[in-house]
Amino acid sequence: MNYSRKDLIQTDATMNQMRNSIYILANFMEKNGVPNLKDKLRKMGQNIAKTYVRYWKPTNQVTISNIKDVITTIYQKVLNSTISIEINDVENLIRVQDYRCALCKYHYDYIEIAGCEIILGMVSEIISLINKESKDPSSLFLEPYEIKESRAFGNKMCIQLYKYKSGRIS
Amino acid sequence: MGAFQWLMKKITKVFGRTTNALFYTLLYREILKEINEITKNEEDSLIILREIGKRAANESCERHSSIFKFMPGSPKKVLDYFEILWVVVFGTELEDYSYEEIYKEGSKYNDYVLKINQCPICADYGQDKEDTFAFEELKDKKTEGLACGLCGMLETVANFILKIKRNDYRIQIEEQACITKGGDCLQFTCKIYDLKEWQELMDSRIQERNILGKFFAESLEEEIVQETKLDIIDKLQDVISIDKLEEYLDEPLEGIKERVSDIIRDKLNMEPTHFFDYFRNYEDDMIRIIGYLGVHILNEYGGLLEKSLQNEWFAKILGYVFKQLKEMTLLFVPLDVIRDYNSLLVSFLEGLAPPEMVENVKLFTGKDTINYLFDGAQMALENLGIDFSELKDNVWEELKQERENGLISSEPSVIDRSREKMPQIINIIQEGLMVINEILTLPIRILISESHYGLKTAINSVVSEEEGLYGSIRERFDHIFDQIQEIRK
Repeated sequence: MNYSRKDLIQTDATMNQMRNSIYILANFMEKNGVPNLKDKLRKMGQNIAKTYVRYWKPTNQVTISNIKDVITTIYQKVLNSTISIEINDVENLIRVQDYRCALCKYHYDYIEIAGCEIILGMVSEIISLINKESKDPSSLFLEPYEIKESRAFGNKMCIQLYKYKSGRIS
Repeated sequence: MGAFQWLMKKITKVFGRTTNALFYTLLYREILKEINEITKNEEDSLIILREIGKRAANESCERHSSIFKFMPGSPKKVLDYFEILWVVVFGTELEDYSYEEIYKEGSKYNDYVLKINQCPICADYGQDKEDTFAFEELKDKKTEGLACGLCGMLETVANFILKIKRNDYRIQIEEQACITKGGDCLQFTCKIYDLKEWQELMDSRIQERNILGKFFAESLEEEIVQETKLDIIDKLQDVISIDKLEEYLDEPLEGIKERVSDIIRDKLNMEPTHFFDYFRNYEDDMIRIIGYLGVHILNEYGGLLEKSLQNEWFAKILGYVFKQLKEMTLLFVPLDVIRDYNSLLVSFLEGLAPPEMVENVKLFTGKDTINYLFDGAQMALENLGIDFSELKDNVWEELKQERENGLISSEPSVIDRSREKMPQIINIIQEGLMVINEILTLPIRILISESHYGLKTAINSVVSEEEGLYGSIRERFDHIFDQIQEIRK
C-alpha cells in the first residue's frame, strides 16, 4: 500500500535539490521563450494550494483578526519557516519577512526571479480558498503583490508582500 | 544500520532545509507540468525532468563536496549506502524496500535491482484534478515514470561520490517501474560501468542528447576530474572513511596497532618507531597534537564546526561548554578512569614507539594527559573561531552583560524565542555531558577485554548487553539531533 497525500502531511522532505530545481526550471522556461515567468511561478503556487487545502487547512475562516496567526501557521506547517508579519492597513498590504525562505538561498547570476513567487501564489490562494464559501463580510481575500527582497537577488532575507481585501468576491 | 549510515542520515536531516513532504511532491508535480507546457510531449518532458534533477543534485554536490570525501569510494559500497543517497536526496526515510543482486558475467560488478514499495512522489497521484500530466499519453512503454527527476538526482549524487573519490567506475540508475504508471512498486536498476563503457553509453543516447540540446541549448559538463593536489585527508581517506568504523570496532587493540603501523608505513613511508621518534622528549606536545587534530578532524566532516562557529552566539555557547567540560572532567571523572586512559595510551605505544618514549609517557599522571588533550583541543577551537579571551566566568554573566549593552533585542518576541530555545539548549548540553560520561568509562573495559573479547565486547558491556554503549550513545545523539532540529525550526 503506497503512501497517501494525507500521510505526507506528517513528514518532512529536504528541499536542497528541489530548491535548485526551481531556478533550473526558470532558466529552462526563459530559454524556451516563456513570457511572464513571475505569473507562471505564482500559478504553480496556486495549483499547489488547490491540492493542498484538500488535505490540510489551518482554519475555516480568515479575517483581519486572525490573519497574522493564519499566515504564521501556514509558513510554519507547510514551509517550516518562522516569519515576522506586519500589516499596513492604509495600503492594505501584508508584509512577510522570512530569513530562511525554503525556496531562496543563493544568488543566481543567470536568472532574475525569486523562487518564493511560488510561495506568494500558494499562501494567497490557500487563504482565498478557505474563505471562498464564506458569506461573512469580514472574510479576507489575498492576492500576490510583490517580492520586495529575496535571498535569490542577493538580499539577506525574503520580503513577500500580499494585497488583501475584505468582503465577498463575486 | 551502521554508525556511518546513521550519522550521515542524522546530519543530512538536521542541517538540510526541510518543508512538508506534501509541499515537496506537489512542487515536483508542478515542475513536471511546466516542462510539459513547453515540450507538449510527455516522453520529452520526462527526459527534461530527469535532466533538471541531475543538474539540481550536481549543484548541491559541488557546494558541499567536502562531506562526500568521507563517503565510501567503491561502486558496490555506494549502492550499499543507497539508503543514505535516498535520505540525502529526498530527506525522508527509505522504508519497506528490497534489494537484489543480478549476476553479470564477465563484469567486475553485478547489477542491482531495488524495489521500493512506498513512493512519496507517486502518493495518490491522479486523485486530484490538478494532477494533469497524462501518463496514459506515453507511447514508449520503456520511458521512465514520475520519479525520473528523483532518479536523476540519485544517479548524480552516486557518481559525484565516485568522481571525487577518483574511482574509475560510474553508476547508471534508471526507473524501471512506477506506481503511477501502473507498477506495483517503484523499481530502480543500478548498473555499474567502467569509464570507457560509461562514455560509450553516454554517446549512444543520441535521441536523449537531441532533446536536451533542443530545449537546453547546452549540456551539463560531465566528468571533468580535477587533478587537484591531494591533501593529507585525501591520502588517508582510504583507511579512515567513517564507513570503516564498524570494522575498527571489531578489532582489539593489537589489530588497531597493526593498522596504525600499516598506515604510517604506507602513507608516510617510514617505520612506526621512526615516526614516533620525532616526538621523543616532546611527548606532551604529541598529546596536545592528538587533541588538536581530534577537533580538526571533526571539522573535516563538511566544515560543520567551523561554519557553526561563524555564528558569534554559537561560538560563545560552545566556548562556555568547553570551559565547563575542562573543569568538570577533572572534578567528576575518577582518577582511576583517567589513569586507565593513560595505561591505554602506554599499551598502544608499546611496540610502536621507542622504549624511551614509552617510559616518558608512563611518567605522566592521568591529570597531565587530560590537560594536554584539552590544551590541544582549545588551540584548535581558537583556530576555528572561538575567542576564549573574551569569555566571561560563566554564561549567565554573559547574558546579563549583553542585555545591558542592548546587543540582545528587548523586543518581547525575540526574548520569547530565546526562552523557547533554552530548554533545547540545556537538553543538548545535558545529553552531551551524559555521552562524555559514558565514553569515559570505556578504557578500563578495553584493557580488561583486550585479551578476551576485543573492543566491541568492551563497548557492549558498558551500559547493558542488550543495548551497549554504542546503542546508548546513539540514542543520546538522536535526542541531541532532535533538539537541534527543533531549534532550527
